[in-house]
Amino acid sequence: MPKRVARLPAMESFALPNGLRVILVPQPASPTASVWVWYRVGSKNEWPGVTGASHWVEHMLFQGSPRYGKGVIDRAVVEVGGILNAFTDTDFTAYLTTVPREHLAVPIAIESDRMTRALIAPEEVERERTVIDSEREGNENWPGFRVDQELNALAFRRHPYRWDPLGYAEDIKALTPTDLQSYYHRFYGTHNATLVVVGGFSAEEWRPKIEEAFGGLPEGGDDPTVKVVEPPPRGERRSYLHGPGTTPIIEVGWRAPALTDPSTPATVLLDVILGGETRLFASGSAWGRSGEHPSARLYRRLVDTGLAVRASSEWRPRVHPGLFTIDAQAAKGVSAQRLEDAILAEVDRLAKKGPTLAELRQAKEKVERGAALAYEGATRTAFRVGYFAVLDSPALEGRLLGQILKTPRKVVLDTARALFRSEARVVVHYTPDPGSPP
Amino acid sequence: MSDRADPLAIERTVRSDGLEIVRQSSPPGTASFSATYLGPAGFAYDPSGREGTASVTSHLLTSGAGRWDRLALARELDRLGASLSTRCDPESSGVTVWGPASSSRRLMELLAASVLHPRFAARDLERVRRQLLERQLQEETQPDSRAERVLFETVFPVGHPYRLSGVGTRRSVQKISRVDVVRFHRAQFTSANGLVLVTGPGTLEAVAREVRRVFSGFQTEAAPGAPPAKGSASPPKRPMSIAMEGRSQVEVLVGGPSIARADPRFAAVHMANEVLGGRSMLNRLFQRVRETNGLAYHASSEVEAMRWGGYWTAQAGTGPKRVARVIEMVEQEVDRISEELIPASELDQIRESAIGQIPLQVETTSGAHELGLDLAYHHLPGSFYRDWPGTLRALTRAQVRRGAESGINRRGAVTVVAGPTH
Repeated sequence: MPKRVARLPAMESFALPNGLRVILVPQPASPTASVWVWYRVGSKNEWPGVTGASHWVEHMLFQGSPRYGKGVIDRAVVEVGGILNAFTDTDFTAYLTTVPREHLAVPIAIESDRMTRALIAPEEVERERTVIDSEREGNENWPGFRVDQELNALAFRRHPYRWDPLGYAEDIKALTPTDLQSYYHRFYGTHNATLVVVGGFSAEEWRPKIEEAFGGLPEGGDDPTVKVVEPPPRGERRSYLHGPGTTPIIEVGWRAPALTDPSTPATVLLDVILGGETRLFASGSAWGRSGEHPSARLYRRLVDTGLAVRASSEWRPRVHPGLFTIDAQAAKGVSAQRLEDAILAEVDRLAKKGPTLAELRQAKEKVERGAALAYEGATRTAFRVGYFAVLDSPALEGRLLGQILKTPRKVVLDTARALFRSEARVVVHYTPDPGSPP
Repeated sequence: MSDRADPLAIERTVRSDGLEIVRQSSPPGTASFSATYLGPAGFAYDPSGREGTASVTSHLLTSGAGRWDRLALARELDRLGASLSTRCDPESSGVTVWGPASSSRRLMELLAASVLHPRFAARDLERVRRQLLERQLQEETQPDSRAERVLFETVFPVGHPYRLSGVGTRRSVQKISRVDVVRFHRAQFTSANGLVLVTGPGTLEAVAREVRRVFSGFQTEAAPGAPPAKGSASPPKRPMSIAMEGRSQVEVLVGGPSIARADPRFAAVHMANEVLGGRSMLNRLFQRVRETNGLAYHASSEVEAMRWGGYWTAQAGTGPKRVARVIEMVEQEVDRISEELIPASELDQIRESAIGQIPLQVETTSGAHELGLDLAYHHLPGSFYRDWPGTLRALTRAQVRRGAESGINRRGAVTVVAGPTH
């Protein structure tokens, strides 16, 4: 069988004099064009008192800019048959619009207008406050969200990864329009933005148009590099939550390296061996976190044996050191402690003996196959190119894939030993309230 | 004969045993492949006292088949970079395989083995039972699923196939045995009333040959009779409230019966829903509840039009103090859509949005495959989606209003509120 490698699409990459990075990926056969703007700004750039500002600013960028008053952005995209959305992460904020290719001018004009000139009108900030509040409440209905929040708060005492991009409820109540305007003007700007355009267009025709649309914007954007370093953990930390729910949930996390750390290839393999997939190279109709992985260690050890109804691992690529997590939900009648013991026993086994050679080969094969079909359609391609670009560079994908495929068993074993240390561990138990379900 | 390169069109043929074979092109520039078997095996066919059997059976289809036990099947999928997934609704169950087009022959073998020769190992049955029991608990503890369950149980009478959610009861799921599963599989996963849709390369003839190669040996050819989807309930006029303390958000859900997918009024109902709470951000619920009044993060509506009938829902999630205002707004907007003509400019905007969603849907093979399934399952013309822009553009304001009257109205509907009270 021929080797299938990541098919990084042909792209044209350049920077405008004002610092804006532009990546063009023409796909002549595509009937659509997808425009994404990625800002290297996320909740990592916030501080206590202004948590949630990145996410709130994201909402405000749909609420008016000089050429596009409130509601006009939605209308301009919708009436040409397009879709638009945005999302905020710890490390970045991304805005996406996909339109029939003949309407590419629409998102280009919108993104240029709101990159540095969003209005963030006080009355719109106030109206949006309850929307944000409601988004947070909706998440809080899910025990998994509460567990994630607690785990991050335990793991990070100083670093801004401590809080969720939605921010603390108290900060959402207190943030003012001036806070949001200051935050926006400080971080949103050409230095921190990457424009990715993918789909049915010609680079020859559109490069000058993009230069014209964005070239006149002033240089700007403070360096979003976070200087805060989380001190090394000196012991296990744990927390016990209670609330509405079905069966106990356990989440265990270990301090894990940042994306550019040399141990990343082995960490990716550990994620695949334990949980069955990696966010970076997931195949399938969804991007990662999809379906069950019966061949994965955690599934076999926890779900097959009747201890859990689901089990997964996740190493999330981050600019700064983050967490490697394992998340499982107990089967009815299984205690949280019993499930935790089983999780730790499996991790301990992996750290002591490492993966088998067959297991390692299968994990590499899975990563390679996932990469092979990763670029499909303008929207997904734009997402993928931009995602790697905002975290490092589009070329990182191919480089990383090559390193993963060459990683020997010994390195995976050493990485497991360094990663899964009890003193670097955080544990959260979530136990349903007595009487729950109602 | 449809254009072989157009993922919007399908071609079909019916085999002598009644199995319908449907072919669809992958979108240009894609290298993936998808195929689905759908059979008359939905949870409306659950045996009495064994509710949940359809869900259990469909889940087990990906747990080992033919010469592959569950682990071997999972490893083979990993090796290929492929996935197998199942679906189960009131009317049908199915299995979908997705993976590289270069492995399409092996993917078809895996799909056929899963449908025709599932192992139904005792250990896997126990695992799926545990997972289904947890889903039952989740339905009871999550405000959105709890509200939905109460709504269906209120608007559809006892015995109606859309009344239940398919997860059964604790008692019925505990009683399901391997014999029940084997019997259900033999009776419901049939060739007649079943279909195989292939989205990938190859002519219809080549696809039919491939289906013949791997899909032989259905244990039952005759299709089961459809259960009756008739009757109406008398839901209360006042909102039904379910107190769920300890949660943060209240789910407001309004809904009632609607039309079937093959109903000639479908396009008008679809447009009415797009205006009310459909996929574009310009829909009325999103604009009024969220954008103008800031009362909720999500506010939308849906029409689920199936073979035997359908239902509509409009929903929003909000805080306990804002519930009364949100209920009032959602109900008013639902009424307005069938009582007043939609302004021409508004209808035009939403219409273009609806038309534009089609090319976005066919950016990927899996997206195109879902459209193909819609065409195939509902026996719609092969050129339906190619003609869809013209169909939508031909709709008049009066037709859309009449569509709303028949497919999205509060006669026979109920409002359910689930979540914290303070």
